[in-house]
Amino acid sequence: MPIMNNVYRQRAAEKPLVTLDDYRAAGGYTALPKALADVEPDDLQYVFMRSGLRGRGGAGFPMGKKASFLPKDSKKAKYVVCNADESEPGTFKDRDIMAFNPFQLLEGITLAGYAIGAERGYIYIRGEYEHQARVLDDAVRQARAAGLLGEGILKSTLNFDITVYRGAGAYICGEETALLESLEGKRGQPRLKPPFPAVAGLYQSPTLINNVETLAALPPIVENGADWYAALGPEKSPGSKVFSISGHVMRPGNYEIVLGETTLRELIFVHAGGLRPGRRVKAVWVGGSSVPVLGEGHLDTPLDYESIQAAGSALGSGGCIVMDDSGCIVRASLRLATFYRHESCGKCSPCREGTTWLEKLLMRMIAGEARMEDLEMMETLFGRISGKTLCPLAEGAVAPIKSALNMFRDDFVRVVENGSPRPEPMMAGA
Amino acid sequence: MTADEIRAYLEPRRHEFADPRSLVMPALKYAQTTRGHLSREDLDAVAEATGFTPSFVESVASFYDRLYTQPVGNRVVSVCITLSCMLRGSDEVWDHLCEKEGIDHHHGGTSADGRITIQEAQCLGYCDKAPCIQVDADETLGPFTPDSAAALVDELRAAPDPEEYWR
Repeated sequence: MPIMNNVYRQRAAEKPLVTLDDYRAAGGYTALPKALADVEPDDLQYVFMRSGLRGRGGAGFPMGKKASFLPKDSKKAKYVVCNADESEPGTFKDRDIMAFNPFQLLEGITLAGYAIGAERGYIYIRGEYEHQARVLDDAVRQARAAGLLGEGILKSTLNFDITVYRGAGAYICGEETALLESLEGKRGQPRLKPPFPAVAGLYQSPTLINNVETLAALPPIVENGADWYAALGPEKSPGSKVFSISGHVMRPGNYEIVLGETTLRELIFVHAGGLRPGRRVKAVWVGGSSVPVLGEGHLDTPLDYESIQAAGSALGSGGCIVMDDSGCIVRASLRLATFYRHESCGKCSPCREGTTWLEKLLMRMIAGEARMEDLEMMETLFGRISGKTLCPLAEGAVAPIKSALNMFRDDFVRVVENGSPRPEPMMAGA
Repeated sequence: MTADEIRAYLEPRRHEFADPRSLVMPALKYAQTTRGHLSREDLDAVAEATGFTPSFVESVASFYDRLYTQPVGNRVVSVCITLSCMLRGSDEVWDHLCEKEGIDHHHGGTSADGRITIQEAQCLGYCDKAPCIQVDADETLGPFTPDSAAALVDELRAAPDPEEYWR
């Protein structure tokens, strides 16, 4: 069971709120009636903006600002798209929000739809989350039957419905324009931006795309007010965030914390129960795998967007992967290179070929077949991939590996000289 | 699967999309549920039911990992091998299963009796249960040891096949 405190709090902490009655008993569906009765759509957008809520999918863009980019005078249909393609290595927070608190997400999407004047929302969920998709399907059915979705919601003039759309196994579909392509029934390959989805998104119509965690934060914001949310945590990174923590820790899981109040050390050693006895932190990928790696020297960094950035990494999705000193940084880097090589959609050559080269170079290193020049070749390669692609996937491949080479160069040199045998993993029950 | 069966499945969903192209993926996922993969006939049936060309339909099917254009085993066992699972022993689980089923360690594949396909999966989103395994599109399970993973495969081999293959 996830540990949810603040925004996704008790509502989901005790038991899964998968029936409408349970969600209502936990205080759910109070925000939507309040908004429909008292708040004009434009004012609701302003509430989102004043709350300071930033996108929880990875990029951290202010949610209210994103909503304000949709043209007000467009005659086209508008859409809300919820990005539930959670596939970033180490990230499993949206999974629990959907499985344990599906109605809070539906209520959030409906609030977003009302604010921008949309009549339909889509939840694009990764195909591997079939279980969560069925929970959502069932929640949508219950909400429709209760007049919380459909025509004239709660006897107002709002018409809004939600469709759960399943992906079929492609990391790239978490990139917003690739997601839209996939939702339009095509191969999930990113589009050239601009135009941005706010102007020409799904079916070339104005579209608001937000992550599950972002949209699920809207009901409590509307209920308690923008000021309440903005007062949680530091000024530039307000609110709470769910961190998924995994790897070499004793209690992997989801932990919701107020941003800025908890350090990386506390997340690892207090919430996640620390490491095995006698082990030390070697490397931490704090925001999913697509961010620069941090080391033991960064553990006292507070977890908020600005502090993590100042430490040289990014908060990203909040998928925190911890490796202790039993692990090999070159092997870990290779595993990530393999991930990006496999998930590259193939549209841009620097990404398609570059991730393949990265993987080959790292394979050669751990096999003990590399030459010292290969380290320089890898550095040259970073420059030939970075900034030369349509979407950030390639950047995500370079960031953890380039930073690992910078921070742990001695380890790379040793592996080039001697190779790297497979270390003992931390097995279940260990 | 026939085009009529696919049409019947799509009909109640049609009004949800401004462009019928969005029906191609649900159609492919549904068409896969009878054989467990998409045969040439299945792809043609999806094309007929949705009104798009067979080549377009195949271009979509070939893009996604969980749409299979080649036959696979009765049960598909996806072993997550991404970083969090690697740190918790997924390589040991993978090696053990491949050896047990007589499958190539580098690429995965299907057991000689056609019952079990073992494939590598990229992050399944169950890193708190690492190393984790997903059977078809059932809820992902974990953590596994090499032995408990082998026991899972034995159970799958002994169990009746599902009525529909959602993968």
